Amino acid sequence: LPAVHCLSFGPQAGGGECCLLQLEPGLCAELEAGRSLVIRGEKDEHAVLCSKDKTYDMKIADTSNMLLFVPGCKTPEELNADPPSCNIIHSQIAGFSNNYWELRRCRPKLKKLRKLLMEVPYEGPDSQKDQTLTFSKYTTEDLLSLIQASEEEILHQLQVIDACKIEGYWRILDFEYEMKLLNHVTQLIDSESWPLSKVPLCACLEELGSLEPREMIEHILLSYGRKYVDDAGNVFFEMREDKICRAIAQMLLQNAVKFNLSEFEEVWQQSVPEGMTTRLEQLKGLALVDKSSRPETIFLLKVEDLPEDNQERFNSLFGIREKWTEVDITPYIQDLCAEKQTVGALLTKYARSSMLNGVKVYNSRRPI
Amino acid sequence: LSRSSGTGALAQWVLVELQGEVEPRQSGGLAGSLLGDLHYTCEGVPVLIVGHHILYGKVVQLEKPFAVLVKEGGAPQPSPGGSHSCYTVTALIKTKLLFKTRPKPIITHVPKKV
Repeated sequence: LPAVHCLSFGPQAGGGECCLLQLEPGLCAELEAGRSLVIRGEKDEHAVLCSKDKTYDMKIADTSNMLLFVPGCKTPEELNADPPSCNIIHSQIAGFSNNYWELRRCRPKLKKLRKLLMEVPYEGPDSQKDQTLTFSKYTTEDLLSLIQASEEEILHQLQVIDACKIEGYWRILDFEYEMKLLNHVTQLIDSESWPLSKVPLCACLEELGSLEPREMIEHILLSYGRKYVDDAGNVFFEMREDKICRAIAQMLLQNAVKFNLSEFEEVWQQSVPEGMTTRLEQLKGLALVDKSSRPETIFLLKVEDLPEDNQERFNSLFGIREKWTEVDITPYIQDLCAEKQTVGALLTKYARSSMLNGVKVYNSRRPI
Repeated sequence: LSRSSGTGALAQWVLVELQGEVEPRQSGGLAGSLLGDLHYTCEGVPVLIVGHHILYGKVVQLEKPFAVLVKEGGAPQPSPGGSHSCYTVTALIKTKLLFKTRPKPIITHVPKKV
């Protein structure tokens, strides 16, 4: 081909201000569409890169070769398709490097989100604490700059943990206040004899509006019910049996180290709203049954209180109990699974299996 | 905290990958100095002539394209987790010219004495 590129080093070339970032599929298209990528991380954290909805770990990859980046350098196809008028093309090398940033999709680091919001849980409008504090309260912007996750992942998690926006700040309700609100609603449902699947929003706001702020009543209905609108445009809630039973169990269990299982089951069923049925399956990731003790006992163990890092999580679980069945351990490791990873794969990596009384159990790979 | 953002239509650059290191002939750094000439054969094989060496390479479409980040603020090395700084995505690289063969010295034809 007649055209020749005359390559020389540009004036900024040795400066080291340019660096290369290897893009995972989809990120290139996002950049070309004009969207931003954000690198997030405090001094003590490993940096992550966030697109609008995904999070990636960043790692430096070294190469023994020299990589030069050349703007305006044409490939043979481009030269054939669009021959230049002049045969000598002076191209300046903008920079060079022997390393680049590699990305690997990772779980968003969301444990910190809950930790931040739990600094000052919302105890209700009468709480004195709230009026005096301005820090330890976080807006969406604050959270975006502090949490190593993409915006969509953060907003989704806020919904999962039933956070609500009060005066522009994201808040988690103090558990006792939350139970107080729930109790108002369940008592009202009972006294009005409403079906659990058709709880009217308007009536709730009217009856309870004098006791609690309307936004809080609506929030508790949204947290513990599924909203729907009938043909006439009236808003109703279908109350979520599993979530309500689970919350009531938490309320009972958090007052003692452990409970006699059969006593607990009795009290629990009596404590839930009429028409609801309690089942132990509702307590996955919240409580653990000890079948080896006589009598059998149950105690509170919340997955969100456990470490976020895989190895630390397994160490913590094996510290609580030496041998676990897959059924028991799954709710406590499910959230560790990466995209397309199974619980089985995690167990193979972090645990050792053996047979105990004809049942497959898992224990730690290393001494605790 | 650092931020990188796409701006407008992104330029497409090309990566040239060479074995070993590039050192300036004269002291005073590389800026401004000539590297060499890049030719393509009729079959589209890239050929780089650096000094008295000739290197043959190939055009590779990158499976994972690169983004070129330029740091604003002038600090020497980009370090995530350091103080606040801003990076801009200046260009995308989807193609590289890979020169893997060892440089061959160019020996000019020495005419035999007749």
